[in-house]
Amino acid sequence: MFIIFLFLIIIFYKQINLNSIIIEENISSLSNADISQPKFAINNDSKKIYITASQGNFINKDEVLLNKNVRFKSNNFSIETEKVIFNRNKQTAKSKTKSMFKSKNATITSDGFNIYDKGNKLIFYGNSYIILK
Amino acid sequence: MKLIVKIILIFLISINLNAREIGETEITTEDGIEVFQNEKYYLLKQNVKIDSDNFILSADKVKISFDKSLYDITELDAYGSVDFYSEKFQIKGNGNFLNFEVKIEKIKVEGEGSELITKDVKMFSDGFIEVSNLNGNFLLKGINSKLLNEDILIIAENINGNFSKNTEDQEITYLEVHDNSISYVKNNDTEMYAKKINFDNDTSIIELIDNVTIIRNEEKITGDYGTLDTRNNSYKIKSNNQNKVKVIIQNNE
Repeated sequence: MFIIFLFLIIIFYKQINLNSIIIEENISSLSNADISQPKFAINNDSKKIYITASQGNFINKDEVLLNKNVRFKSNNFSIETEKVIFNRNKQTAKSKTKSMFKSKNATITSDGFNIYDKGNKLIFYGNSYIILK
Repeated sequence: MKLIVKIILIFLISINLNAREIGETEITTEDGIEVFQNEKYYLLKQNVKIDSDNFILSADKVKISFDKSLYDITELDAYGSVDFYSEKFQIKGNGNFLNFEVKIEKIKVEGEGSELITKDVKMFSDGFIEVSNLNGNFLLKGINSKLLNEDILIIAENINGNFSKNTEDQEITYLEVHDNSISYVKNNDTEMYAKKINFDNDTSIIELIDNVTIIRNEEKITGDYGTLDTRNNSYKIKSNNQNKVKVIIQNNE
């Protein structure tokens, strides 16, 4: 009984520490953001993919690091993740964070993704899980 | 003790959260997915597992072609260590490559050691095995091709035929067997060898062409052309050379 109690205290303590780290990270990243609520688009012959996020930071003149609630939305699919590097010139997007793709009757969860060829080609990285309805 | 029970419950619930529901197809891969939207296909890479109401499939790599969206599958190509099972169609098989055309319900298994096993028929080949579920046509091509059911065993490099769609059992309605070395068919107590063997269920006649041998009990008859009537189990053999038909009657006593 004592061991279980000790185990719960350790978990509770670790959780508090983790929360404080997340809050600190949020404050620091908020203050460092170059753009708030950035919006971009990938233009395709047949469709347009709209990109939104909570924050954006310029890496160089072409690349932007999009942070938090990053969302790609087109007529036939959407992708949600936390971090994406968007290249405005090449119209590509890369992510190494957990991602969720949704289209009609299909969802894909993966460890990241790469959008290229103006959004016609999508690569989902790592262990991936698809549900087709 | 209660805590342990709770932990087990939470663990079981979390497992069920990932389980697929009826009507859904669940796919897992270890090295991601590539989606080609214009070309309308996607590649599933490394240790792919597909689980649906109709079938279970595993393979090293899978290409899925679609029509309107990812769910609207038209064709499936599976590569490397392919293993599948369908409870609905009562069929299982394995091979190095599998192709399934959804609309015409045609399945093809290819490569050394290919197997396709249904409720009534077992098919093997080191080339390929192709079965069309809609019209019942089948084709086995390549070395070590073999088809067997309760009544018949066929071994040849080319086995082409049709399963009846009218009966519950997969009865063979016609058969064209060909092997440049020799084809082999065993039907009940009769063994038949020829380069080409044909069967038509309407006439109930098995036709043997070129290098013909029929073995039944202690009788062995050779010639150039033969027929066997499966209704009364009688057979005839003739030769291009009138004196060439050879009958060997063995006495095993």
